[in-house]
Amino acid sequence: MSYLELAGLQKRYGGSVAVDDVSLSVEKGESVALLGPSGCGKTTTLRMLAGLIQPDRGTIRVDDVEITRLAAHKRNMGYVFQSYALFPHLTVSRNVAFGLEERGIGKAEIARQVEEGLALVRLDGLGGRRPRELSGGQQQRVALARALVIHPSVLLLDESLSNLDAKLRDTMRHEIRSIQRSLGITTLFVTHDQVEALTMCDRIAVMNRGRIAQIGTAEDIYERPATRFVAEFVGRANALPATRDTEGKVVLWGAAHPVAAPPQGAFDLFVRPQRMRIVSASEPTGGETVRVTGRVLRSVFVGDHVEVLVEGAGGQLAVEMPSGTTAPTEGAEVAVIWQAKDSLPFACEAA
Amino acid sequence: MNGAGPVLSGLAALVYAVILAPIIVVVTLAFSADSFILFPPSGYSLRWFQALAAHAPLLSALWLSVQVACVVTLLSLAVGVPAALALAKGEFRGKDALTGFFLAPLLLPTLITGLALLLFFTPMRLTATLPGLVLGHMTVTVPFVIRMMTTALSNLPHDIEAAAATLGATPFRVVRRVTLPLATPGLIACACLSFLLSFDETVISLFISGPRASTLPVEMVRYVEGRTDPLIAALSVVLIVATLIVVVAVERLVGVARAIGK
Repeated sequence: MSYLELAGLQKRYGGSVAVDDVSLSVEKGESVALLGPSGCGKTTTLRMLAGLIQPDRGTIRVDDVEITRLAAHKRNMGYVFQSYALFPHLTVSRNVAFGLEERGIGKAEIARQVEEGLALVRLDGLGGRRPRELSGGQQQRVALARALVIHPSVLLLDESLSNLDAKLRDTMRHEIRSIQRSLGITTLFVTHDQVEALTMCDRIAVMNRGRIAQIGTAEDIYERPATRFVAEFVGRANALPATRDTEGKVVLWGAAHPVAAPPQGAFDLFVRPQRMRIVSASEPTGGETVRVTGRVLRSVFVGDHVEVLVEGAGGQLAVEMPSGTTAPTEGAEVAVIWQAKDSLPFACEAA
Repeated sequence: MNGAGPVLSGLAALVYAVILAPIIVVVTLAFSADSFILFPPSGYSLRWFQALAAHAPLLSALWLSVQVACVVTLLSLAVGVPAALALAKGEFRGKDALTGFFLAPLLLPTLITGLALLLFFTPMRLTATLPGLVLGHMTVTVPFVIRMMTTALSNLPHDIEAAAATLGATPFRVVRRVTLPLATPGLIACACLSFLLSFDETVISLFISGPRASTLPVEMVRYVEGRTDPLIAALSVVLIVATLIVVVAVERLVGVARAIGK
């Protein structure tokens, strides 16, 4: 039995299903991201965990104790809200102390723990300020400290970084990750930002339409997406419409290729642009390689890589070349190659 | 160009002038030296203020009005704020129906309320008593407090009460430590307005006041029915000044509370 167990969680609002049969096991000390587009039910799931929303069905267990119907204030979960939800009428110290005061801990002990908490998020000396006198990043840290000092059984972060600017977000990502690791605190992290999910978490649960589409490590999700949705949502991918010839071989851009494919139905081949290489049109290739030919439409330098758009018989595809390599000139006839195992077939969705 | 155009501004100024002109007349009359209401007065003095200070019926009515307004305010908040909390935060069956029910008295003409109260209070011997007047005024102030506080409570920052709950605060403690402190500006404004509503309430009071106990507006109506001297004008000036002091004090208090709040 894992430390945190969600089993068959469901929440409906009127006729629509916000969360549909979500089951998830999280080990103690593990950090798991709930990744998905807005409206996929990830925040609802997190709120059900915190006791802020009652599930219609399913159970929640922490440390082998069922808490499905337990009131929020008895759950001992640290929740960091997207809006931070700091108490504007209290100082930073009193904000952090709030949970400790509600637990009836002695004044001296509270003062000590608040100081520790503020030091942990590097806000020493700002305890006397009001939340509104702090920057967004600092408010975020106060919210984190406030959730951490109560020694929560699970730390819940709800899009906690989405209100920060890009640079600060990057810093906070690493900071939260290192705090989470050093305290060994079980964490659930809701985000729509895949970089956040990939960098901050041990495992990722990709959610779509109220269900978990795939759970796995960052590598699993990226390299072996289980569904078309996951392949499209996480990372970039070329979706190349493919067909079968009479022998059942996969045909792409007018040529047959040594690629596995589903036995029937229309499908696309998904290939990550970084896995593709551009070679001269005359260069021959080996047996386990897919090779298509086309003409370079344009090359765009994007800093860490060069994006090359190639047009061929079956449409367009994007190739990411490491910067530093010379990109082919526009209009050049080239061949694009990739390893057969890097093409993932996914059935087309019924329109 | 910013703000309203010259036509609109001019129109607004005109409307204000029409509204405020009678007050200027009243203030001028208060300092009249004449024995009758005459505008403009033939001379100026403070004699009507001195007369007011010696006029026992009006002073005792003023005192009664202040008492009634204080009790009404306290009771209205005591009844209205918990009701508003339940309506704004609670989830229960018949919530919408209850909201409608509580606000219904605001739609009823006070004339009807006054008559109903008179018929209802007479057999209970509540007419012309302090409890009777308080109950009568509360039919006006309680729906008002419920309405204002429901709005104030639903406008609190998102998720802040949920945050308190996740930190271990029981629902009661959440209200005590987060909801009410954040709603303080609304509470103060609400208290002042219900004080003024009660203090100013005339129609219901006319029905349920009597010789034994009549509030200031009722006593003023009776006075001007029988007399035509500027005493009431002097009293009006006193009331205007008192109201202004309260409003300014509240504005500062609420302003301060807002500053602390957000």
